[in-house]
Amino acid sequence: MVEKQSRWANVYLVIMFLILYSPIFYLIFYSFNAGQYMQNFSGFSLVHYGELFADDRMLQIVLNTFVVALLSSLLATIVGTFGALGIFSVRNSFLKNLLLSLNNILLVSPDVIIGASFLIFFTLLGLSLGFGSVLMSHIAFSIPIVVLMVLPKLNEMNSSLIDAAQDLGANSWQVLTRVILPYLTPGIAAGFFMAFTYSLDDFAVTFFVTGNGFSTLAVEIYSRARQGVSLEINALSAMMFLISLALVAGYFFINQHNTTRKSKKGRGRG
Amino acid sequence: MTQTIIEFKNVTKSYEETQVLTGVDLTIEAGKFYTLLGPSGSGKTTILRLIAGFSSATSGDIIFDGKRINDVPANKRRVNTVFQNYALFPNMNVFENVAFGMTLKGVNKAQIKEKVTTMLEMVQLAGYEDRSIDELSGGQQQRVAIARALANDPEVLLLDEPLSALDYKLRKDMQYELRELQQRLGITFIFVTHDQEEALAMSDWIFVMNEGKILQNGTPVDIYDEPINHFVANFIGESNIIDGVMREDYKVMFAGKEFENVDAGMRPNERVEVVLRPEDLDLTTPENGKLIVTIDAQSFRGDYYEISAHDDDNNEWRIQATNPSVLNSRQGLTFDPEDIHIMRFDESEDDFDARLENYEE
Repeated sequence: MVEKQSRWANVYLVIMFLILYSPIFYLIFYSFNAGQYMQNFSGFSLVHYGELFADDRMLQIVLNTFVVALLSSLLATIVGTFGALGIFSVRNSFLKNLLLSLNNILLVSPDVIIGASFLIFFTLLGLSLGFGSVLMSHIAFSIPIVVLMVLPKLNEMNSSLIDAAQDLGANSWQVLTRVILPYLTPGIAAGFFMAFTYSLDDFAVTFFVTGNGFSTLAVEIYSRARQGVSLEINALSAMMFLISLALVAGYFFINQHNTTRKSKKGRGRG
Repeated sequence: MTQTIIEFKNVTKSYEETQVLTGVDLTIEAGKFYTLLGPSGSGKTTILRLIAGFSSATSGDIIFDGKRINDVPANKRRVNTVFQNYALFPNMNVFENVAFGMTLKGVNKAQIKEKVTTMLEMVQLAGYEDRSIDELSGGQQQRVAIARALANDPEVLLLDEPLSALDYKLRKDMQYELRELQQRLGITFIFVTHDQEEALAMSDWIFVMNEGKILQNGTPVDIYDEPINHFVANFIGESNIIDGVMREDYKVMFAGKEFENVDAGMRPNERVEVVLRPEDLDLTTPENGKLIVTIDAQSFRGDYYEISAHDDDNNEWRIQATNPSVLNSRQGLTFDPEDIHIMRFDESEDDFDARLENYEE
């Protein structure tokens, strides 16, 4: 009975993953098509990859996207970590919940609204749209994500660690840098990666605040797709998929490494 | 030759509405082992946190080595703490944990290494320098926490229920080790616990606390033999507490009979409480007994039998006996005059001490 159940569970899982992944594989499959359309596979060819690497505009946009993602997630991580520390240190529980709710509202409110409000904000201030405005809005929507990843780690931290550090002679700065931040590192790293991926694939917000002459991948693919998808996009998608796969695999192996180290320690315990 | 190191003068502490300490006065002398003993919520940990500087007094003075330290931050005080949950830094190994205080002070590397080695030897963890914290058992973490605190050469070591997470056997061992360590180093230890057995076994001096007040302080023997009131008598060890009347000096009446005792200094016919410790009571034949009791229940406790009985006045008695008794049988109960301890209602510790001094001369 149990075996039967688990077999059906497996079948279900396999079907679900097939459905989820088949469009991506379909896309990747046709990136190798010698023809120009996603029909009639006329033979294997890397011609679209060639096109992609010859497309300077596209490569520039890929670079832009990564620069924005890296910079915005880095800055958001710094601001968000201190924000989480700030929220954590608020004693008044009403004020604390208020701050937390304000943070969460930003997280759940639709990107379109956030994007539109940024557009209004930037035009009101008379800022020109482009790299700066995209970077700023990415930082802004990433901060709540970082706060959300760091805060649980802070709450989980035993407050007597801070007492202990002070007790041993640490001033506030030393408490922060030698005890609190090292303790939060996993949460900070998770926040950074979340912010990074959010920034990489953000379309709605970027679409509003990007001006002429600056674009990110999501926006560019969208505008090209409207004029009929060239298989160059397929090639790009395949490359991006590979990079994501590598990132996930790397994350998995780092995790695996840590847990085996942990469990070895567990066994060594007297 | 004793020198006062810490003094509390009418210290109070409140969190918003609730008052956790109500006018505490205490004096700590250098080089002794002190215990703050009380149930949870009695304010004992609050006193420790005030000494360490983790929280500040609402009013009153905290004096350390002759200077008022109310406004001195925790990192500038010459005391160190061993925390209940050890509070070791998980991102550092054993060496780095023990060296933490010295690293902050900028002590040179060779000196740090030497000191850490000495400290780890002292707590019997030589060779554990490179272990990470989660590799250690609870008892080992405990030792690292002690080494980390003592590595800073504190004048006073504060211990916040450090043994409560250990199992019974390990706790017993650590009690001896801590006591031995304190005597060897000559540092003042202030130990917080709710375990009366622990307090009696380790301390030079005990403060018994309840509801933000120090009810009684004294040596373990004094507190055990002469508890000031119902709460202390009940909290420290097991007691039979019976209502009685002090007829005159050295004569007390309870359970419908008059007995000779050794207490005095009360009003004639004053209503009092009488304390008799279970281990001071002996069962004998009804003819030889000062009281006659009926045995209700008994349980074997390894080194003794715990027997409960009631007398003809329906007072409950707990007796510790080396030999078993017979259920529902009538037995005599004997005790000596000096086994009887009298507690007056609402007597302050000062009055209690004054009265004792008066008639003991």
